[in-house]
Order: sequence, then C-alpha cells, then structure tokens
Amino acid sequence: PGCGPFKHRVEVDPKFFDKSWKKLDDAIREIYNHNASGLSFEELYRTAYNMVLHKHGGRLYDKLAENLKGHLREMGKLVEAAQGGLFLEELQRRWADHIKALQMIRDILMYMDRTFIPSSKKTPVFEHGLELWRDIVVRSPKIHGRLVDTLLELIHRERMGEMINRGLMRNTTKMLMELGSSVYQDDFERPFLEVSASFYSGESQQCIERCDCGEYLKNAEKRLAEESERVSLYMDAKTADKIANVVDKEMLSIHMQRLFLMENSGLVNMLINDKHEDLTRMYDLFKRVPDGHSTIRSLMASHVKETGKILVTDPERLRDPVDFVQRLLNEKDKYDEIVSVSFSNDKTFQNALNASFEHFINLNNRSPEFISLYVDDKLRKGVKGAANEEDIETVLDKVMMLFRYLQEKDVFEKYYKQHLAKRLLSGKTSSDEAERNMLVKLKTECGYQFTSKLESMFTDLKTSQDTMQSFYANLSGDSDGPTISVQILTTGSWPTQPCATCNLPPEILGQTNMGNADIKATFGDRKHELNVSTYQMCVLMLFNSTDTLTYKEIEQNTAIPPVDLKRCLQSLACVKGKNVLRKEPMSKDISDSDAFHFNDKFSSKLVKVKIGTVVAQKESEPEKQETRHRVEEDRKPQIEAAIVRIMKSRRVLDHNSIVTEVTKQLQARFLPNPVVIKKRIESLIEREFLERDKVDRKLYRYLA
Amino acid sequence: MIMVEGTSQLCNDLLVDPQDVVMLVISWHMKAATMCEFTRQEFIDGLQSIGVDSIEKLREKLPSLRAEIKDDNKFREIYNFAFAWAREKGQKSLPLETAIGMWRLLFAERHWPLIDHWCQFLQVRHNKAISRDTWSQLLEFVKTIDPQLSNYDEEGAWPYLIDEFVEYLTENGCVQRNK
Repeated sequence: PGCGPFKHRVEVDPKFFDKSWKKLDDAIREIYNHNASGLSFEELYRTAYNMVLHKHGGRLYDKLAENLKGHLREMGKLVEAAQGGLFLEELQRRWADHIKALQMIRDILMYMDRTFIPSSKKTPVFEHGLELWRDIVVRSPKIHGRLVDTLLELIHRERMGEMINRGLMRNTTKMLMELGSSVYQDDFERPFLEVSASFYSGESQQCIERCDCGEYLKNAEKRLAEESERVSLYMDAKTADKIANVVDKEMLSIHMQRLFLMENSGLVNMLINDKHEDLTRMYDLFKRVPDGHSTIRSLMASHVKETGKILVTDPERLRDPVDFVQRLLNEKDKYDEIVSVSFSNDKTFQNALNASFEHFINLNNRSPEFISLYVDDKLRKGVKGAANEEDIETVLDKVMMLFRYLQEKDVFEKYYKQHLAKRLLSGKTSSDEAERNMLVKLKTECGYQFTSKLESMFTDLKTSQDTMQSFYANLSGDSDGPTISVQILTTGSWPTQPCATCNLPPEILGQTNMGNADIKATFGDRKHELNVSTYQMCVLMLFNSTDTLTYKEIEQNTAIPPVDLKRCLQSLACVKGKNVLRKEPMSKDISDSDAFHFNDKFSSKLVKVKIGTVVAQKESEPEKQETRHRVEEDRKPQIEAAIVRIMKSRRVLDHNSIVTEVTKQLQARFLPNPVVIKKRIESLIEREFLERDKVDRKLYRYLA
Repeated sequence: MIMVEGTSQLCNDLLVDPQDVVMLVISWHMKAATMCEFTRQEFIDGLQSIGVDSIEKLREKLPSLRAEIKDDNKFREIYNFAFAWAREKGQKSLPLETAIGMWRLLFAERHWPLIDHWCQFLQVRHNKAISRDTWSQLLEFVKTIDPQLSNYDEEGAWPYLIDEFVEYLTENGCVQRNK
C-alpha cells in the first residue's frame, strides 16, 4: 500500500474520453482566464495520464491543438482590435498569457509529452503551442504586417531622435526569437536590414552634400554607435554585425572615394594639416570596409611621394644640403607621428611610408652626399641649442633611417669617408664618442667591410697623437722653430683626392689639401698663435716679405687651385674676428682684381686663434662628376665578382636570372644597372670565364 | 709557308681578285690560322678537303666553292671562322675596320638589308674593336630578327652593342617598332 496514484480503477466507459477531455478543456479555459488558482494540478495530471494510458494520446493531442487554436484566435482578435500605440502592448500581454498557459498545460500533459509524443514523432506540447501562436497570431494576415511595420516605424522614429519604449521593443523581439531564429530573421531582421539600408542611403546622400569629410565621418561614427547600442538594447546579438555592415556599406563604402578625395577636407588635407583625430576616426571606421585601408594607404603613399618629389627637386632647397636633409627628417617625423597616433602603428602603413620615402629620396642622386653633409654638420657642431633639443644619438638614429632608404649606399660611403677625413684631420669634430657611435650604427647596418677603413682612420689619429707626444718629448727645446702637427695616414684607408700642387715652404711635404699648422704672428705689439690650414699657412707666409699682395700674385706664388684659394682667402679676410688679412675692396666675394693687406689692426681676446676653413662643402659640378665616375668604376668589379660567384654555384643560368640574382646580391649597397651587368657578362665571356650555350643563346655556362 | 706574296701569286694563278670571297672559302677549307698565310700542312690538307690536287683543278672548282656560301650551315662555319682568321696574331678582338670589311664581304653574298646601317652605326657610335661574342651573335641576329625588328626582344640577351644598334635604328627612324 503506498501512494500509488494510478491504482484507481478505470472503467471502460464509452464516455471516458469525452468526460476526461471536458475536465481538461474547462481547466485550460480557466487558465487562459487567469483563473488557474482554483485548479488541482494533480487531478488534471492524472486525467491526462489516464487518457494516454488508455491509448487516447492521439485524440488528446488533436483536441489540445484545436483547443489552443480557439484560444489563440480569440486572443488574436483582441490584439487586432488594439488601437495605435497599444497594439504592441496588447500583443505582449497576450503573449505573456499564452506562455504562462503553455507552461501549465505542458506540466499537466507531461506524461503525454514523455511517452506518446516521442513515439508518434509529434511536436511536444510547449513547442507546438509556440508554433500555433506564430501561425495564428503573429503571422495572421491582420497582425503580421502591422507588427513588422510598427516595429520598423518605432526604430525609424528613434533614429530621428525620438524616445521610444525600448522595453516593449525588447520583449517583442524576444518573442520572435523564442518562436524560432528563422522567425526572428525572416519576420523582423530581414525587413529591418532592408529598411535600414534605404534609411542610411538617404542619410548619407544628404550628409555628403552638406558636410565636409571630417563632419561626415563623425556622423557615421555616431550612427554606428547608435545602431550598436540599439541592438544591445532590444535585438538579438547576431544582428549587430549585420546592421554594422549595412551602415558601413551605405555610409562608408559607397562614398569612400568621394570622401577621401574631398577637396579641402579629405584625406590629403588631413595629412597636410596633421588632423590626428580625424585621421584616427577614418582609420577606425574604414577598418571593416573592403579596400578601405588599402585605399587610404595608397592615397597616402602617392601624396608622400608627390610632396617628397617636390622637396628633393626644388632648386631652392638644393642650395643648402643641411637644410635639405633637415626637411626630410621633419617630413619623416611628421608621418611617423601620424602612423603612430592615428594608424595604430599599423605595419602595412609603415611599410607604405617607407616605400614612398625610398622612392623619392632616390629621385635626387645627390641625396647620399647631402645626408653625409648633414651628419658632418652635426658632428662638427654638436647639437647644442638645436631647436628641438634632441640629443645627438636620437638625431643620428633618425639619419640612419634615411640612410636605409638610399639605393646608392656606396656613394654615401665615399662621401662619408671624405667628410670624415676632413673632420679628423682638421680636428673639427665636436665629439669623438658621437663619431664612433655613428660608425657603429653604419657597421650594424652594412657590415664590417663598410666601416673597416673608417675605423682605421680613427686608429691613425690616435697613433698620430701618440707619436706627436713622444716627438715633442724628445725635442731638444728649440721652441722657435715652426710648430708642426703631423697626421699619420695609412695609405688606402684615407680617401685620396687629386692632390693639387701648392708651393709649400720647403720643409713641409704631404697632402696639401688637408692638415694644419700653428703660426706665430705679430700684429702691432700683440703676439698671437694662429692655427691654420696648410693652404692658409702658405698664403700667410707670403706676407713675411711684403705687406700687400694682389690676388693674382698670391695665386701665382702658391699655385693653389682657384676654387680652393678663394675659399681660403675668404676665411682669412672676410670672417669677423678672424680677419688677419684686409681685403680691398671689402666685399664678401673674392674676385681676381682684389688686393690683400696684412691687417696689423687685427685683434683677438685669445692668444691662440683658430682660423677655420676646410669645411666640407657640397661638391661643385666637376667634383661631383669625378666622384660619380669613381663610384661607377668601383661598382664594376663588384658586379663581376657577383656574376662569377653566382655562375660558379649555378653552372648554367639564363641572362635574366643572372640579372635578378646579381641585383639581389648587391642591393644592400647599390642598385646595379642591367646594362652594366650585361657589359660585365660580355667582358667575362671575352676573358673566358663564361661562354654562351651552343644551343640556347640566352644561357650562359661557367667555364671552370 | 705561303705568305702575303705567295697568296698574291696564288690569286693570280687562280685568276681571282684577292678580295674575292672565294679566297675566304678556300682558307676555311684549309683551316688557315691567319689571313694571307698558309702553312704547308694547311695548304695540302685544304686541297685534299676540297678534293683537288692541282691549281688547275682548283680553278675549276671555284664556282662550286663560291656556291658553298649559299649553304646555311657552311655559311655559319665560314662566318665564324672568319673572325679568328682576320684577327691580328696575338689579339683577342677584331679591329673595327677589318670587321667592317669582312662583314661587307660576307653579307654581300647573303643579303642583309641593315648592313649599311650597321657599319655606319659602328663607325659613328662605337669606334672600338669587335669581340668574338659580338661577332658570332651578330649572325644570330641577322638570321633570326627581321629587318623591321618586329621580333626583337629587349630581354633577348643580345650583346649590348646590338641593343645599342637597335636603339640607334629606332632613334633615326630607320625602323618602325611596335613597342
């Protein structure tokens, strides 16, 4: 004995089913009338249980369906009857009722759900209830259209700035989702997206007529944020991406070109004026737009190339190499900042920038020389009092970035060597440490061979100093002789320049265009010690025998080349505080008809006066040709060596492949000209290192 | 050794002009090392290869020897032979004047419309000796590239001198190229 609820005797009553069903039918009615509290769950459950047990599951199921349909139709009418704004509310109310009812009905009919339904493969009670709601209420012809329209209308109003009942929206979309994701998608999401597309199409059209690029983008950003919020508040999360795509397409993608190219406010304008905020916004917005970033990148790259080209080909700029390079550095700084602040340090943008810089820097074949001159200037003067107070290390690092862009690094090397030599020999470098630093950077970039000769120049200097010291230590105290300073130069390490003749006081020999001397000179009753270059010394020595000389006389007596002589005389006569000579007339430039007088009125606070020249100057045209010619000559053996290396390992190779391989091998130093490569190949054929293949004339063979 | 005078005599006997291209053909048969010189061995082997054993028979053979130039394969061999043969002893390249003379001789028999432009170009722009590679590649050029240069390929690994020649022709409007 225990509680066995199912031990009641059941009669085989012909009216059994009807009686049982009536009980349930009434109960369901009460439920829908919000009168469920008076019902006995246990009894109803038992009733249903018995019906199923007696194999009435099918009939029960069908009756239930009919019953539900009836209630639903009634509810539907109530919803239809609702006026205006109350429509959604009524729908929600009825929905809530229905859900509650279904839950109870499901519980009552649980036995049927668990036994009859699986085997008959019918839809479970709750689910079936939902389907019926969907078909009879939601998709009823009188309700469906109105439902969708109402929802969309509210969304539209909200977009136009009105406040709407978001809770109601939320419940309604939730209802649709519970009816099945396809219901949500087909009945709501799809029309929503369509309507949104046309809304944003209109909005963007208006906006683009009214607004400039920056304002437009701000608006687009605002709209995107709104839509995202909207979804999170009353739609299914999966709609977020879809609506974002719609807005992206209508507001951004379609108008992309027009926006970027907008005069006075588009991308180029933003770049020119460093409009970081606008650029950041643009970058973020166009992340998801097809070709968005690549378009920005390529517009930026061509703008940079264009402005860069103007920079490097402007004749005004070319007059001052240091200024030229400074402008390049400024330009680099500007764009580095843009990429870092606005473009999230995006590597693809950085690469595009680098390619643009590389392109235009090499448009001017004097860039290598000028960059070397810039470094020269900085190493002579140090960076004290520089406008932006960067220390020398930072400046050199930035210069290295420019260096990397150079295609003709070997040309840079040649100039750097010349300039370095001048600095070292004239003692004009402001910091040894900075010099060495620069060498380390070059070595890291280009390898040991690049800097080995430069390093040996430093060693020579140290050797010179040590030797000088021991020389003077051993001198037997004759302090009236001219004080000389000797530099030891290892042949091959130092750049040789065509060594002009110069009539030296016979005691001195050596490279005349470098080196310096200390001369004791008397002005009135003041004695000074002048530190001068070799050329300056030669000129001044002439004034030992006379007070006045014409330009022509000086030229004849010293045999210094005119260009150098004029520079030399300028430094002796035209520099305030250093004018040991007086020029007649007092103009700044030296002309052939000038005369020079020993200036006994010269005075200086210092006893030892340094009179500088030997400043590295930008080369004159003939000098430039000369240097370039030497660079070209130097390249030939390098190209040949590369060809031989390649052919030795490959044995047989076609012409174009050789050109490609050679270029690859040498591109760290310079870009070899394919015509030169061809000539070198022919030279190697002539010298029987290579031969053409007998059958295919485009192939070459290595001859061991 | 038959030297210059001997060669001259030979030409007399054969009733040919020393500039006659048939002398080149004969020299080729003889595998003569140098123009206007024949060693005894070269001379004898040569006559054998031609298939004669007397000057008279050689004279009779002249027309057929001349005809050998018309044969493509033989022409190529003769052409390439001519380079080393016309060189000065101990030199690697062929002086320009000599080269031009040889080219005119050879291409007189094998009509090449650009021969005059080629010679003019060399005298105006090049003025240096001709390398072996250039010499042999020129024949390829003549054989494969049409006089309007329509099938000339810049990537064709032609010697740079030939590339320059093409440029020269284009600059001077001698050819219409569809680039």
